[in-house]
Amino acid sequence: MGHKILQALPYMLGGIAYTVGITVIALVVGLVIGMILALLRVYGGKYAQKFAAIYVVVLRGLPSLVVLFIIYFMLARFIDLPPFLAGCVALGVCSSAYQAEIFRGAIQGVPFGQMLAARALGMTKLQAITVVIMPQALRNAIPGWSNEAAVVVKDSSLVYAVGLAELLRRAQQVAARLYAPLAVFAVTALIYFLLTFGVNRLLGWVEKRTRIPGMTEVR
Amino acid sequence: MFRLRIASALLLVVLVVTAVSCKSEPANLWEKIEQEGKIVVGTSADYPPFEFVDEDGNYAGFDIVLMNEIAKRLGVEVEWQDIGFDGLIGSLQTKKIDAVIAAMSATAERDEQVDFTQPYYIGMDAILVAEGADFEITSKEDMAGKKIAVQAGTIQEGWVDENMGDADISRYERAEQAVMDLKSGRVDLVAMDFFAASNYLKEGGVVLALETEFASEHMAIAIPEGSSALQAELDKIIKELQAEGFIDQLALEYLSEE
Repeated sequence: MGHKILQALPYMLGGIAYTVGITVIALVVGLVIGMILALLRVYGGKYAQKFAAIYVVVLRGLPSLVVLFIIYFMLARFIDLPPFLAGCVALGVCSSAYQAEIFRGAIQGVPFGQMLAARALGMTKLQAITVVIMPQALRNAIPGWSNEAAVVVKDSSLVYAVGLAELLRRAQQVAARLYAPLAVFAVTALIYFLLTFGVNRLLGWVEKRTRIPGMTEVR
Repeated sequence: MFRLRIASALLLVVLVVTAVSCKSEPANLWEKIEQEGKIVVGTSADYPPFEFVDEDGNYAGFDIVLMNEIAKRLGVEVEWQDIGFDGLIGSLQTKKIDAVIAAMSATAERDEQVDFTQPYYIGMDAILVAEGADFEITSKEDMAGKKIAVQAGTIQEGWVDENMGDADISRYERAEQAVMDLKSGRVDLVAMDFFAASNYLKEGGVVLALETEFASEHMAIAIPEGSSALQAELDKIIKELQAEGFIDQLALEYLSEE
């Protein structure tokens, strides 16, 4: 049996390309939307703040699978997205709500006096945000963002529901053929663990490399 | 402000044009398939021996070979899409795929959502129990009071629901999960398709308690509602294949034990 699973491994590993592809694109989509939402929430006008707040509340309240079905099946009469793109968009939109909160927390974690000081030095508000606030906020956001990245890696498996043979779906197929669900899913779990572990180690490295000496205490 | 209005008017025109042009796609599904030279077929490749993915990552099984032969006779290619069983009907309704072959029974409920060809195969049901079970199942009455496991969306689930309404029923996304729970003792018996069960019997740990025709599956190819031209083409070929003995031969090859 172990021999047969080993034989099926290349096929299962082929699914990783989809898993990684969806994860990366969804995280980037979520990053862009989430950052814009966070900025609107903190610095936007009354209505922009309201909009960002409602977006976050609604999308955090919807299961990712439901959002995926809405985008894949219900929007099909307007735009016919292939499963891969539908998955990227759905997970990206869901992730953006969580990322918005991560970035909001990070921005608000920068002491408000810095904005006042920057403005007192003659910077415009935009300058103050881009060169004073955000460089610090982004560093603050890394630990929370690393968390979100791990979640999206695993959520990428949802896309099998609309017919994309990513890692989990391929594992299901192999498990069904070999009648060995326990062993096959144990291997799959290990692969997912290695993926999330790799992502988190990478972000940990980024966090270390971008640390400003003397700004955060290192014990 | 004026320019903005022109822009939004243009945008509106574009939207309307795309909406209208979307509607004027080929009205007849069979014509579309013929034109494109391919039929997009959905299946759920986790149900051996009917449909599964072989060692080389290719689709294989009774339904797969059958559909490939049907397409060959239609003069088109098959583009396979592997979708979870629960998502098949939805994909068909939203025209993501042209047809479904997935050991699917033509039930009345499903017939309201989609259309079916004439049955290409009539299946049997198996009642499985764990090895060394201390009870016997010889009739429907023996199943009363037992913990019953079924795969969600299968015809056996429908039959159990209708006839064993007050029983303790566990529903699983996939058949293999139901068999796993049977082995671990969480349920007393599994009701599933006879041929799908035969492979689990070979694996051991479970035994056949009863071979029956409770639910009597009439497996058919599902197509979107109202695609009568496609239905006629498929029906014709299925009859042909039955008359030639192709389907019986296939059943012998894929579905019979040993």
